[in-house]
Amino acid sequence: MELRDRRQLALMLAPYLLGLVALVAVPALFTFALALTEYDLIRSPRFIGLDNVRELAGDEIFHTALLNSAVFAAIAVPLRVGAALVLALLLHRRFRGAGSGRAAAVLPTVIPDVAYGLLWLWLLNPLYGPITLFLGWIGPPGKTIWGLALPQFLTHPNDARAAIILMSVFTIGEGFVLFLVARQSLPGELYELAAIEDATAWSVFRRVTLPLLAPILVLLLLRDTILSFQLNFVPALVVTDGGPPPYSTTYLPLFVYRTGFEYLRYGYASAATVLMFVLTAAAVWLQWLVLRRARFASF
Amino acid sequence: MARPVSLVRLERVSKEYDGVSAVRELELEVADGELLVVLGPSGCGKSTVLRLVAGLEEATAGRIMIGERDVTRLSPGRRNVSMVFQSYALFPHLTAAENIGFGLVVREVRRAEVRERVARAAALVDCAHLLARRPAQLSGGERQRIALARALVREPDVFLLDEPLSNLDAELRAQTRAELKLLHARVGATMLYVTHDQIEALTLGQRIAVLRDGELQQLGTPNQIWREPANRFVGRFVGSPAMNILSSGTAVGLDTPPGAEVGIRPEHVMLGETGVEATVMLVEPIGSEALVHLRVAEAALVARAPADAPRSVGDTLRVSLSREHVHLFDAGTGERLPWS
Repeated sequence: MELRDRRQLALMLAPYLLGLVALVAVPALFTFALALTEYDLIRSPRFIGLDNVRELAGDEIFHTALLNSAVFAAIAVPLRVGAALVLALLLHRRFRGAGSGRAAAVLPTVIPDVAYGLLWLWLLNPLYGPITLFLGWIGPPGKTIWGLALPQFLTHPNDARAAIILMSVFTIGEGFVLFLVARQSLPGELYELAAIEDATAWSVFRRVTLPLLAPILVLLLLRDTILSFQLNFVPALVVTDGGPPPYSTTYLPLFVYRTGFEYLRYGYASAATVLMFVLTAAAVWLQWLVLRRARFASF
Repeated sequence: MARPVSLVRLERVSKEYDGVSAVRELELEVADGELLVVLGPSGCGKSTVLRLVAGLEEATAGRIMIGERDVTRLSPGRRNVSMVFQSYALFPHLTAAENIGFGLVVREVRRAEVRERVARAAALVDCAHLLARRPAQLSGGERQRIALARALVREPDVFLLDEPLSNLDAELRAQTRAELKLLHARVGATMLYVTHDQIEALTLGQRIAVLRDGELQQLGTPNQIWREPANRFVGRFVGSPAMNILSSGTAVGLDTPPGAEVGIRPEHVMLGETGVEATVMLVEPIGSEALVHLRVAEAALVARAPADAPRSVGDTLRVSLSREHVHLFDAGTGERLPWS
């Protein structure tokens, strides 16, 4: 690369790199440093070594938040990636209504988080929320059609966790668009050949579509795992307020937020953040170990 | 096991896309074991014909028969045809062996049998040493062999080949063309082969169907197509350089009927001491021969002549045509006319 090209490249990269350093790298370094201190914004930070980590190890609220986050990731990530894939496969063809369908699939993702949370607060309301009303209407009195008690999304711990997962399953616009583009870029002749060979729809999905979309699938699984540690923050804050009691929908981001901004324990919150980072990295690494064994298509 | 009757018959088959006609009332028969080439320029509907037989397109009108079966409304998988695509359509995530065996695996044929049949098909096209490789590790020619083996492995009633040589370089194309001809002779399969390359059509086809704008122009043996083109289009399309067309025979000293155009292939234009006077406008050497562009009165003519004869632009020479090589076409319709 010539010097002129290098300069041009550096110039173009500069705004992004500057932002990355100032808004991500430096705060991250501060967080790592603060994790080793006790800091309440009033007094100066006091170095306490690994005391915060030791405290986190014995903190039951942190354990609950950790478990909640792990369960959320384990259920929401496959559901979200699966839903994005299914929707993309349903809507990649041209047909009447496909455009509206695609818009509907992307729309929830572009709604501001707080507005989206408030909308669900209404949808899930136990008295007049349409979801509860609908479930009650189609089933026997006070029960669902499966004979179970009507869900209490805002007051029952497991129902509330399910509600947060349900909310996350609709914000899959980016994954949907990626799958849609990837599916549309697959050569049509491969499918024509499969048709000539009398392959069933399931066989085509299993032997052609899925392996060819595997690189995107892996990318989205990793990305969604990282995202899953963050994307329940607003729903948990706005819809369930971390409850129902004691801490049914307190996930790691909410725990960090409350510890830092409500209890003013910045050092402790930083330690939890660092731990969250380590856990996310570990989860991604584990997934990578499993997925790299899979054979991927190479175009 | 007796081979099934493998005769493809298109009965007044038409195909329209949004009111635009791609194939018009096509009547075509492919005999059992025949290699029939559908030849035509880009956009003439030749690939559509293949896709109609494969079931990848639905006919707007008419009937398609394979053997005694009316397959017009059958799905592609129920027609028992194999297709080799121009791009080969190999699955990039599968090895060559898995690609060849794909049709058997999805039909749930036993693994041992799949392995055996894949090996047999691969041996037929001399690609047994490539079976463990993925398409990305294969050259164009090797991919083409894998695609052929995949078509062979299922022993279908009909093979459909959509310009299978067009992605190969000239040398490999000539070699593969010869191999294809040998392969056809060996397996004796019914093949419908689409190409825009007249050399491919003339060398490979037992019969050639020339198509233009979705209409059949002529169906005949390569010799018939070459020697007795049914119309001006076939005369000019088959042959390189194209047949010379003169508005009448007067310029070249021929007594032709009124309203008849004269067609003469460049190799039949004789340059010498007799005939009408012509001026050399351009000389294009092509190895042992040269294409000599001439002006005869107001008409332009191309002659194929030995390259060693010294000719240069502006030279004057004499041109004569032998009547037996001259084709007459109706100036209005372009249809072939007999010498009266």
